[in-house]
Amino acid sequence: MTQITPRDGFAIVTGAGSGLGRALARQLCEKGFIVAGTGRRPEALQHTAELCPEGHFLPVTMDVADFDKVAQGFSLLIEQHGPLALLINNAAVYPRIDLLQETPDSFWHSMAINLGGVFACSHAALQDMAPRGAGRILNVASFADIAPLPASAAYSVSKGAARVLTRAMVADLADRFPDIVIGDWLPGALDTEMGIPDGLAPDQAAQWGVKLALMRDPSLSGTTFERDTEILPPRGLKRKVRDLLLMKRPKPRSL
Amino acid sequence: MTPVFETDWDVIVIGAGMGGGTLGRALAEAGQKVLFVEKGTEGLRSERNGLSGIFVPEARAARGLWPDPLHVALDGIETRFFPPLGSGPGGSSVFYAATLERPARHDLDDLPDQPHPTGGWPVSYDEMAPWYDRAARLFQVHGTPDPLSPEAPLPLRPPPAMHPAEAALTDSLRAAGLHPYRSHTGIANVEGCQNCLGRKCPKPCKMDGRSAGVEPALATGNAHLLTNAEVTRLVAEGDRITEVEVRVDGKMRTLHAHRYVLAAGALHSPRLLMASVSEEWPNGLANRSGLVGRNLMLHVDERFALWPKRGTPDTGATKGISFRDFYRRADMRLGTVQAMGIRASYGEMVHFLNRMLALRGLSRFSILTRPAAAIAHTLLGHAHLFVGLMEDLPYAHNRVLHDPANPRRLAVSYTLSDELRTRRRAFRRALRKGLRGHRHMFLSITPELNWGHPCGTLCFGHDPDRSVTRADGRAHDVTNLWVADSSFMPTSMGVNPSLTIAAHALRVAHLMLKDRT
Repeated sequence: MTQITPRDGFAIVTGAGSGLGRALARQLCEKGFIVAGTGRRPEALQHTAELCPEGHFLPVTMDVADFDKVAQGFSLLIEQHGPLALLINNAAVYPRIDLLQETPDSFWHSMAINLGGVFACSHAALQDMAPRGAGRILNVASFADIAPLPASAAYSVSKGAARVLTRAMVADLADRFPDIVIGDWLPGALDTEMGIPDGLAPDQAAQWGVKLALMRDPSLSGTTFERDTEILPPRGLKRKVRDLLLMKRPKPRSL
Repeated sequence: MTPVFETDWDVIVIGAGMGGGTLGRALAEAGQKVLFVEKGTEGLRSERNGLSGIFVPEARAARGLWPDPLHVALDGIETRFFPPLGSGPGGSSVFYAATLERPARHDLDDLPDQPHPTGGWPVSYDEMAPWYDRAARLFQVHGTPDPLSPEAPLPLRPPPAMHPAEAALTDSLRAAGLHPYRSHTGIANVEGCQNCLGRKCPKPCKMDGRSAGVEPALATGNAHLLTNAEVTRLVAEGDRITEVEVRVDGKMRTLHAHRYVLAAGALHSPRLLMASVSEEWPNGLANRSGLVGRNLMLHVDERFALWPKRGTPDTGATKGISFRDFYRRADMRLGTVQAMGIRASYGEMVHFLNRMLALRGLSRFSILTRPAAAIAHTLLGHAHLFVGLMEDLPYAHNRVLHDPANPRRLAVSYTLSDELRTRRRAFRRALRKGLRGHRHMFLSITPELNWGHPCGTLCFGHDPDRSVTRADGRAHDVTNLWVADSSFMPTSMGVNPSLTIAAHALRVAHLMLKDRT
């Protein structure tokens, strides 16, 4: 299986000013990539840059919910550093708000970041990837939608919808552009601002994320990995009959 | 920006596929101002999709596929499905397997030992031969000559090396007394060639109506491509077309040229003429003969699996082998046999079986297709799939239908004749006998029509009562209309139609340039 290398182009990691995004950006820089890291806080991005090998990290102050800025920013980055080999959609917010305190505006703002941002960034990345017929998009995902926690409505809904978006992108693109590989990755509960104190160290999780992000086997499109292991989609009846008849049993892949 | 709607074009080509693309290129290279009017979208050159069964019209259009289903009444049974029709630069040819075979003399000429069902094409084999040569050069056809053909071979480029399974299969076919040759294929084999058979090729490598037609035409600077423009009607005054009506972005517009070329394919070209009724043309434009849309012909695909001899290395699917040992009998037209370049995959088998049932009105049995496909997949695992292409003959009752209340609806009526069934049985018998010693299995029970090879619906001929266009491709009834797609063919031949469409398009272009009245 071939790997994406710095020769293929640069990478964009959204939400690179803290936690997992910072760790992903740093490890990609250490592998020789030019990484544009987006975030809303310039000083946090500056701190990420200081942790990276010099000259590899490009801090880009950008709110992924500002769709015009995303389009302009990506276009400029691609012009200066293109082609864009890899996009990791990592930026997200997790405001813990009881439903009665949430307002339609605050709810929608979280949707704009966690769902709208993924679409805006992917859309902007595809402006470069689709004409070339190659690229990699990895969406940092969550199973928060399966059993929403209290005080997590916007997060659960937006992250669940983002996983649907991954599948929708695959439905539209995989047959036309098999070398644009799009998938989901769940890092699990992390010890970050957004995560939990006894979670996994972001540096450790990022090792899997980077490894997965640099894999470009077309068969990875539409897959979901949790930490370092593939989560197979539930099999429908047709699929079960087929697997039974062909005497095949799908095996999850590991990183 | 070219002012497309204000320009008075030399030639408007309706449909930028195999025929229209090739003709438009020849005209543009000769300095004519050519406008390709294409219903489909241009899409991105990097796209690599194949045909798709997806039913969402917008998703089909985005993939370069004809968005709407074809309604078929086959032996009286009504059904609808998506035929392998493209819509976009290159038309259906961007999805083809690049098979560019030249027919045999008896396909065109009335011969003493093999009378032609129509008395022969209005253009003889010898007159067509130089145009086949030109088309073969233009489409960079590679392969080896058919050892059974007495004709001077096409100018063929050397084919790529055979892989071991192909070589072993060729040897064993030869040992059985057959005469395999390397299929005539329009692939330039540029660096990074992915052998895009059955799907869009992202490089100028597979030679199709786009890479060998529209793109070189645009490169001359004389041609322009208008996409997402659906021609709805040709408007005529007397025996001249004055403009075409097109729907662009939901708005009706008009386009003007001195001359018009219809190349929307054998299903859509006649549909457009039938939709272009007027007081002067109550049965449709250029339809004094009443033959517009009639004599629709399709090939019958005789698919079979062929197992290589024991011990043959399994090096993938075979595409490169053809043979014409069963092309004809003294009293009968049969057809050419070629490797299909695919393995008997499970999905392929499910699709194939479901289609077979649907066309017979037996979809209620489709619950059985999955187990059947799985069994077939297991049985056929290492087999190579071959197809024998057998022609159907022209019958006026096989035709494209027109519904004045719904002129966009694509519908055909087709009946399998007893004569066809008899010939098919003879073809199968001949194949079975010829393949003795090779483990093989026929994959169809009833005749399977190839909906990717429609032709004949605006056939050319000398007699205006018995044909729609003249020998030079111009309509008998309309002085500034030409036809340059597979509609012109009086018979469907025992080979794939692509090279013939290209050769005819080049010849028509040449005659248009010679006669600029």
